[in-house]
Amino acid sequence: MLLQRRLLCTQVPKRSIHPTHHQNSNLNNKKWAIKQVTKSNFAEALEEIKTHIFNSDFIAVSLQKTGAFSSPWQKVLPFDTAEVAYLKAKYAAERYQVLQFAVCPFSVKSSKIIAHPYNFHLFPRDELKMGMPSYSFFCQSSYLTAMAREGFDFNACIYDDRIKSRIKIWKSTCQDSEKKTEDDLISTLRKIVSGGEVFGSRPSLSIDICSERQVQLILEMLHEFTDLVPLLVPAKGGGSQAIRVVLTSSNEDKNVFEKELQLMEEEHNMQVRGFREVVDLISTSQKPVVAHNAINEFAFIHSKFIAPLPSTVDEFRSSLCSVFSHIVDVNHLMREIGPLNKVNNLPAAILYLKRRFTRPLHMEIPQHIDGDEVRVHGRDVLRISELFAKLCLILRIVPESPEADYSTSSSTLECYANVFNPCFISSSDLLDDDVNISTEKTRRISVANLVFLWGFRGMMSARKLKSLLKGSHEVFSGEIDVRLADRNCAIVVFWAPGFAERFLEVMNSGGTNCEPIKDMISEGLRAACYRTYKRVCERSIWEPSLADALEKALEEASDLPEANSEEELPAICWDNDELTNLDDL
Amino acid sequence: MKNLFTIRAFHKSLISLSSSTRHFFCSSSSSASTFAIKNVTKSNFESALNDLRLYVKDADFVAVDLEMTGVTSAPWRESFELDRFDIQYLKVKDSAEKFAAVQFGVCPFRWEPHRQSFVAHPHNFYLFPRQEIKGDDTSYEFLCQTTSIDFLAKYQFDFNLCIREGVSYLSRSQEKEALGRLNARYKDRLLDSSSCWREGVDTKLVRVADILFSERLKNKIAEWHDGLLGDRNGASQTWKTSNDSKQQLKTIFFKMRPALDLTGFTSHQLRLIQLVVKNHFEDLVYACVAGESSSQQLIVYTDSASGRDLLMKELKDCLCKEAEMKIKAAIGFRHVIDLLSSEKKLIVGHNSFLDIAHIYRKFIGPLPSTAKEYVISIQKFFPYIVDTKVLLNASTVCQKISKKSSTSLSKAFALLCPQIASGVKTSGLADKRLVKVEVQVDNKRSLNWNSGAKHEAGYDAFMTGCVFAQACSHLGVDFTLNPSSVDLSHHEKLQEYINLLYLSWINGDIIDLKTGERKADSICSKGFKAHHSKILFSNTVLLWAFPAKLKASEIRECFCKVFGSSSITFIYHVDKTAVFIQFSKQELVSDFLVLKETLERSNDPISVLHPLSKVLQGGRTRAASYEVYKQICSSTISKVFFADQAEAVGIEWNAKLSKPVLEVERQVDFEASENQLYTDTRNETEIVSGIDPPLYMHSPTDELDSLCPAEAQMSK
Repeated sequence: MLLQRRLLCTQVPKRSIHPTHHQNSNLNNKKWAIKQVTKSNFAEALEEIKTHIFNSDFIAVSLQKTGAFSSPWQKVLPFDTAEVAYLKAKYAAERYQVLQFAVCPFSVKSSKIIAHPYNFHLFPRDELKMGMPSYSFFCQSSYLTAMAREGFDFNACIYDDRIKSRIKIWKSTCQDSEKKTEDDLISTLRKIVSGGEVFGSRPSLSIDICSERQVQLILEMLHEFTDLVPLLVPAKGGGSQAIRVVLTSSNEDKNVFEKELQLMEEEHNMQVRGFREVVDLISTSQKPVVAHNAINEFAFIHSKFIAPLPSTVDEFRSSLCSVFSHIVDVNHLMREIGPLNKVNNLPAAILYLKRRFTRPLHMEIPQHIDGDEVRVHGRDVLRISELFAKLCLILRIVPESPEADYSTSSSTLECYANVFNPCFISSSDLLDDDVNISTEKTRRISVANLVFLWGFRGMMSARKLKSLLKGSHEVFSGEIDVRLADRNCAIVVFWAPGFAERFLEVMNSGGTNCEPIKDMISEGLRAACYRTYKRVCERSIWEPSLADALEKALEEASDLPEANSEEELPAICWDNDELTNLDDL
Repeated sequence: MKNLFTIRAFHKSLISLSSSTRHFFCSSSSSASTFAIKNVTKSNFESALNDLRLYVKDADFVAVDLEMTGVTSAPWRESFELDRFDIQYLKVKDSAEKFAAVQFGVCPFRWEPHRQSFVAHPHNFYLFPRQEIKGDDTSYEFLCQTTSIDFLAKYQFDFNLCIREGVSYLSRSQEKEALGRLNARYKDRLLDSSSCWREGVDTKLVRVADILFSERLKNKIAEWHDGLLGDRNGASQTWKTSNDSKQQLKTIFFKMRPALDLTGFTSHQLRLIQLVVKNHFEDLVYACVAGESSSQQLIVYTDSASGRDLLMKELKDCLCKEAEMKIKAAIGFRHVIDLLSSEKKLIVGHNSFLDIAHIYRKFIGPLPSTAKEYVISIQKFFPYIVDTKVLLNASTVCQKISKKSSTSLSKAFALLCPQIASGVKTSGLADKRLVKVEVQVDNKRSLNWNSGAKHEAGYDAFMTGCVFAQACSHLGVDFTLNPSSVDLSHHEKLQEYINLLYLSWINGDIIDLKTGERKADSICSKGFKAHHSKILFSNTVLLWAFPAKLKASEIRECFCKVFGSSSITFIYHVDKTAVFIQFSKQELVSDFLVLKETLERSNDPISVLHPLSKVLQGGRTRAASYEVYKQICSSTISKVFFADQAEAVGIEWNAKLSKPVLEVERQVDFEASENQLYTDTRNETEIVSGIDPPLYMHSPTDELDSLCPAEAQMSK
């Protein structure tokens, strides 16, 4: 109701006041002029955003989902290869639902960002009763609680459409019954006489067809009749099952009817596709799309609005690129600046950049939204726009002079686009040097040197485990790193090549010639190589605990012949500070 | 089970209709009482629980009802006629594991002899699985079925209230686990003498700012430290609090010891301070204690090593107790379940097997893998459960009253309790048989309360209780004779029905909670008419991922060409990607599986021209015995289509012919008119004696949706 009221009093230049959202004093109120879009104002917002999308240089997107990962190890971790990261993102995208989709077309002109933020409220309604768009979806209570805390109105999200459609149905029944009173008899008579049916108020005839070729023939034939309008009746499994010919009374009537049809079709498309329309607009605009944690966001976008997710990251990448030619992840841009790679949340990253690079950047939001309703939903999309603009200035991606066109800089942006690896280094060798210079703590390592370890007694900190291992066997005498991947499973990095393999051999032999290891094995210690971890994700063994998942994958593997063990293993980059610490769990 | 929603929707519209008529009637009478049902959320939970304790203690029975975020996690997880007893349980188990209960209706009923009426206390609890303590995150994730959410929305379910204010809960097993984890942690901590708080701090001083900050704080703390000692020696106090601009350091007393209260520092700064204390001050202890609103960071002075140890111990105990309190506080709504369980009250539900499974999963622990283990366990917590759906269908008396019409809750309510449902005051003889129910909400009481037009658990529980009370009266339980309350749990007239629940309404299968067995001479079968057929599970194969447009009739034709015209008893669609095929003879199952394998291996013209090639076309067609169906159902994965599910579970190949574990023949009752069951007359001549006319279940039009369970059977 509030949303509708807002529509009635448009263009009143009044700024919204949000007394409850002042945690970030650096972000002023005006910035939250985000237009909230529900079904009731969708058509109107669509028209508006269409213009903005085509007039802006970039489009930032950000999603609000019903969940992200069900246990700590299932989120994309720094030691994940692109393949593994994709599989995790795919799992999440298929499991959870999108409740809000924020879109912000924006341009950067010298030190000004001009943004048009919109936040679309979605709800996956099973309107067609065919399990589409979604039969069911998962919710994480923490996500819903967090949204509730921000003042998100779940009732509005879920009810909105219903009320509207109810009114629609009521209205159409009224109109129908009005008409009926006058031509009920006539239409019935007409039907009997002509042996045909009635389409609306106009008589029609159905021609059954059995091939697409026949369709063409009939359509050609119908060209000869000026007052007939052909309609294809779609078959259930695609294609057509009949042609319905509608007789119009005059040329004007034909025009009127054709217009009616067009409207009906548009409306129908809108109903079936709904928010897809916005995604299509972004796609056809060919503008670079900016996101945060792009692999997660786009796995959702792909699975909800484009097509089911393919099974490999390469297929995903090519499928996605055919829809969005340029996707830029602000996360990757941030990595370029170095120490920022630790800053994974948007407000913190913005704050950091503000402190380090003091070039002023103003955000301008031309649209004015009246009312004092809380409008913070979708604010991440503004943060992404701001962060991106700042990073562009720092990395000199966008020309600083206002005259220069974005297109001249696009080649600079090109090399940052479409990167989906959780770790930037492994993605393109071109950039190796840059990264090695800027981030001292990050080192590149082949995943062959990584070993997963579990089955140690009770809860143990990484440090304790490391010291325990250090004394157990000579393979641990070299440089190693130990981190916990989740509560019960650790990941060990052997910096000396070949040591990981040697350790796995020792483990496989049951710790022969090594009493401490033997003891630990008897207490339940298990180890697995990175390939097992990859298999866990490939086979979708999403157990709550990583240790259980690895155990299952090992069991399964023993049933199958050892295949392509010679496959080349990719590298990841290892950052000492990024991994989960037990204290944080 | 999806039709449950349509049916419930229908009930409600009936109810709302009748309630509006009631208002119409009552406007002329004097006692129109329209006070609202008792809604319980976080804010009034404590007080409501205290009141409820008394009501439940005095109650003769307690009616319950739940609203969930969904029923089936995939279309093929709906209940089918072809589901064996064990599979029916697996389907319920999957539902209770995946969906959340968002509303819980509890309605204690007490007979008041002097008033000659029942007093009911309907409560409508909003639940939300909010995570209050750390640990197992997967319990705080739940599935929503889009149609169910829509359904709830249609009946104005308040999602905001549920998410923001819903009462959270902790199951018994979750509580046990959390306490176990707590003990492990504090045992560990006691051994670790260095610091009791965040022993992991190892911040290296790299930045100049950090070094300067540490140095300054070191001096400040040293000043304070010396000041304390100086004080004791009678010297003047050198350390002034006014020195500190923001009052970041304030001297207080903590457990009789002088301490510095640290406020206004960032967490990074606090880590640095902690480091300073650890490295430079032997007799100071850095501590973090929970205050009223947020935690308090302190530096505490201890005068000796033993004093230090004592303080450490005190701190640990304090933390431990605090964490324990937090766990206790997180129990939340489970207190209500514990109350019902400890009072051993008769629990009344309507078609409540799924509800009870939810109660078990949410408030007791993980569901056992078999129905038998489950019912044995549930009886320990709820020794007396009675189901009004069973009562209405099983007792001839009640059947007569309900005129064999639908036994959906609202219809039963309208039929059995017209005086409450529509406020119609009947007079004379008819009225005498009607049990009076007075409703009490807080201090308001009414004899013709019916303010639950909305679809909500509390109101449904109330209706269930009313139906039960009335059914009892029809069965010959005379409340009026007893001077005090009646022991319904042990009443001879009810013994026949207690602890019996419909495991699956569509199959009419009743489970006996005392034994875990299917009730052999199903008392319910009286309600079913029509054909009887025996489903021979060992004669059944599952076929999936066949060419997409293949119709059941075509599949049947192919099979008949190979195995003879009478080889197939029926074909039944699981969904559009899978069918069950029952052969007339058991050996045909293995014959088919072997033949399929041979055909797939060879690529000669004969196999291409083979009649079965139409079914096997594309090379993705899979087949397996009935036992594999069980394996697929027991998986936690839920893909929308059955073929995808089978693949995800990992049944890639022709599943090996596993010997059927148990040879169960189940008599299934079909209603021909509603299930499109057509007796295959060609087979009748070949029927072995003892086996009823076989059927095949695909409709002549081969429309998938026609195989959806009939509405009337699906209602709750």
